[in-house]
Amino acid sequence: MADRRPELTEVSPVSSDPENSAGGEYHHSEDGGPQPEKHCGHGRGGMGEEVSRKEDRRFITGRGNYVDDVKKPGMLHCELVRSPHAHARIEEIDGSRAMALDGVVAVLTADDLLEYDLATMPTLMDDTQDVLVNDKVKFQSQEVAAVIAEDRYAAKDGAEKVDVSYDVLEPVVDAETALEDDAPLIRDDIEGKEDNHCFDWETGDEEATDEAFENAAVTVEEEMFYQRLHPAPIETCGAVGDYDPGKDKLTVHMTSQAPHIHRTLFAQVSGIPEHKIRIVSPDVGGGFGNKVPIYPGYVVAAAASYVLERPVKWIEERSENIQSTGFARDYDMNGEIAATEDGEIRAIRVDVLANHGAYNAAAQPSKFPAGFFNIFTGSYDVETAYGSLSAAYTNTAPGGIAYRCSFRVTEAVYLVERMVKVLADELGMDPADVRRRNFIQPDQFPYESPTGWNYDSGDYETALDEALEMADYEAYRDEQQRRIDEDADKLLGIGISSFTEVVGAGPGKSCDIAGVEMFDSADIRVHPTGKATLRVGVQTQGQGHETTFAQIVAEELGIDVDDVVVEHGDTDTDPYGLGTYGSRSTPVAGAATAIAARKIRDKAKSIAANELEAAEEDVEWDRESGEFHVAGAPERSVTVTEIAAGAYMNHPGGEEPGLEAVNYYDPPEMTYPFGSYVVIVEVDRETGEVEFEKFVAVDDCGNRINPMIIEGQIHGGLAQGIGTAMMEQITFDDNGNVTGGDFMNYLLPTAMEIPEFETGHTVTPSPHHPIGAKGVGESPTVGSPPAIVNAVVDAMAHAGVSHVEMPMTPDVVWKHLEEAGLERRPAQNLEFELAGDAGESVTDDD
Amino acid sequence: MTDEREITLTVNGTKRTIEVEPRRLLVHAIREDLDLTGTHIGCDTGNCGACTVLVDDEPIKSCLTFAVQADGSEVLTVEGMEELPESAGDLHPLQEGFHEEHGLQCGYCTPGMILAGKALLDENPDPDEDEIREAISGNLCRCTGYQNIVRSIEYAADELEARAAADGGTSIPDRASNASATDGSDAAFDCGLENCCGGPAAGADGGESRE
Repeated sequence: MADRRPELTEVSPVSSDPENSAGGEYHHSEDGGPQPEKHCGHGRGGMGEEVSRKEDRRFITGRGNYVDDVKKPGMLHCELVRSPHAHARIEEIDGSRAMALDGVVAVLTADDLLEYDLATMPTLMDDTQDVLVNDKVKFQSQEVAAVIAEDRYAAKDGAEKVDVSYDVLEPVVDAETALEDDAPLIRDDIEGKEDNHCFDWETGDEEATDEAFENAAVTVEEEMFYQRLHPAPIETCGAVGDYDPGKDKLTVHMTSQAPHIHRTLFAQVSGIPEHKIRIVSPDVGGGFGNKVPIYPGYVVAAAASYVLERPVKWIEERSENIQSTGFARDYDMNGEIAATEDGEIRAIRVDVLANHGAYNAAAQPSKFPAGFFNIFTGSYDVETAYGSLSAAYTNTAPGGIAYRCSFRVTEAVYLVERMVKVLADELGMDPADVRRRNFIQPDQFPYESPTGWNYDSGDYETALDEALEMADYEAYRDEQQRRIDEDADKLLGIGISSFTEVVGAGPGKSCDIAGVEMFDSADIRVHPTGKATLRVGVQTQGQGHETTFAQIVAEELGIDVDDVVVEHGDTDTDPYGLGTYGSRSTPVAGAATAIAARKIRDKAKSIAANELEAAEEDVEWDRESGEFHVAGAPERSVTVTEIAAGAYMNHPGGEEPGLEAVNYYDPPEMTYPFGSYVVIVEVDRETGEVEFEKFVAVDDCGNRINPMIIEGQIHGGLAQGIGTAMMEQITFDDNGNVTGGDFMNYLLPTAMEIPEFETGHTVTPSPHHPIGAKGVGESPTVGSPPAIVNAVVDAMAHAGVSHVEMPMTPDVVWKHLEEAGLERRPAQNLEFELAGDAGESVTDDD
Repeated sequence: MTDEREITLTVNGTKRTIEVEPRRLLVHAIREDLDLTGTHIGCDTGNCGACTVLVDDEPIKSCLTFAVQADGSEVLTVEGMEELPESAGDLHPLQEGFHEEHGLQCGYCTPGMILAGKALLDENPDPDEDEIREAISGNLCRCTGYQNIVRSIEYAADELEARAAADGGTSIPDRASNASATDGSDAAFDCGLENCCGGPAAGADGGESRE
């Protein structure tokens, strides 16, 4: 494993933002050398150190506090009644049998919510979704009524006794059928709506792209479906609404990746003023984008508490989670590349049909209806590109959310990385060479893409070379040929993906959620004893913020990481932020933290001058020792801890007492992490089974805060990529029934399906980020599916296979083997033997 | 609502008597009646293993078990790990392993994983990677990709072995036979030797030896 660490590279600021350019001072760099010990570096747990996680203890001892662990006096339980039909008009809801049960307190329907003007809620894409169905059900499992009861079991009993009569309508579940002229109309709630068309979107230069295709020596085309997935965190969604009539205040504990924006939305929906709403997102058992949108259950729990003046808990079951909350992907994509005969890509063209479900409830910046899909030119220097997309409403759960993905980047990366493989096979070239031929070169950054992105930095070839070397690429190519030549039972396939992501939204001028600009925030208070509290506007769901953000403060203030506590997820105490998704926490809130710490250091400097009895201009900050000292006299020094005491107990005249700072950071640009993955698989010609022989991931997320946590993020994302490529899919039958709606049918990979990963990295800092970091959590989920599919295709490419759809279950692979004439059937006499066995077993039974 | 029944469980070494409906799931009894919220619910269908606890030393999915089925049993949840003799008053080597090897992220599957790991190491104190992966294959983790969970359990196996060696390699009585004879008091777990009950099961296990 070529894991070199820590290596922190100088950041050359290019931003005009004076605060930002403070990043230029970040400059400690170490050569490769032996693996560091934990708490290495300066030894204070700063940047680049493998600090063990501060948050672990509560989780390993069973003291975590997730939403379902919240227990309040007098708390009621809510169970939602859901529609068994995908498309149906509600004729009547009768809750009387439920109300007659012991323990049932209330049955709520849309009519009840209408009284409080809570019957509908806005989605993050400005659509309007029923909280409880008013008139017409639009997808199976949609929320029809709510039963509130004294305990969980009584609520469930009650839900079974709510009688709903439906007028069942014809459903339409796939986007293509939904857009046909005679398709049943789903959104008759939208005035004047006569079809199921949701929106159109385009990007790039159509004319120039068409011209490039007309003049191209070589063109390739492939249609590929990125199937419907679900983030499926192990903790489902849930909430505890608690309205306190004494304080006229609503507190909602909820599984939220974005508590502040949820507070704003709650204020808008409920009419309760925002300062009288407190959202608490306690420990969250995984998010991956699932917990960004608002769901009806949250609103019902809060509304029921408001109406009944008692706390109300709502917790989803797994099937409810998969069947009704935000799905991801469901993009039917057609990709084309125009190229020269020697593999130079001249243009990329793509057309997409998107299934958005019953409501447009994607969760992305509002000006980006197709998210950041227009990053589909990837890591390649392409002259021109054009993309078009049509989105449809269907009778399926609403969504199109960003599952571990910066807003449709996953679909875009899949498209371009698959198409490069298609091109390489068409030209008979090594796909690694096609990539090298077309990479944006390091001296081209900042690079403006043909669809308008401004890439900050990259060195794609170095990452690819590193990955190929780690994978022993050439040797496996030889082995692959040997197996073909010898007609071996198991074929070898080698897949590559050299992806580029765009993460860290804002800037606020172009990115917003529900109108709120996508900045983020940090509030640092250094206490009299030199210990510090950092509060951030982002919210961890396992990413390790309580450790990594403390490391940024430790680095910037020269204090020990154990002396910093990180708080988040409580809108009453934390500064406003937009939340954690789209790999934005480090790029945005990480920057805010570094800048807030530097503000504190600026103030500390004047106090240092006072304490050192020197002029302020003679006082220098020494990052290595974490001290201020007098220029030319390092023995005359003072630490931030010592200064903190001075700030409260002996503050200089003219200065405010105390040592605190707040920063709201609006990033000047996004960051562009990248990497190269090499996947080597064995394909069994008899069974279609795919086994991983080698899985190499080289990532570049700029400067690295905690290599251990980064590696953990990579492992987890790769496992999700394997789930995507091999196992996971939500499907529907013609009646709109979900056929992959629980963990018996929606298969998550277990430890048996996930191989050992080999990870490596390169470091190309972001030039505009105060600590040169880029964000990493999503890279592996984005980058690995095309590498895996490329590998499976590669195993059969010599027989003409150009594409295999995900999930690549054995039966899917076997059909391709058969079509390509590669399948291997059991020996001919096996049938005879089986018959013999059967005969014997009959005898045995006798 | 059906009539409630009185059941007695020895939970983490302490005898607890509760009244439950016959249909009440063990996981709800543990979480809501006994207030031990370290055991989680992730799927309701027995697929995810977040609710894994040990009942009479066997790992079971407490979302698929009625509380009344566990009447008279010993139940070990994550909250009991620190009380085990091999924990020596602090974290159990498995808990330590998850922390040291970064075997957790969101923490939601972690208690179930720790209990599944405990059941494995009780049976097989020196498992190889394949055996570990198989032992935790009924427990889903969406965050870690399992690699560091495997390392965490390997760490615990090594640490338990080191502790046993430091303790003079004393043989370990069979937990199950203790359990059946117990009235549920702490004495069932405490034979007076560190790293004994519940530790690597070996000598007393009918003379079966492992390399």
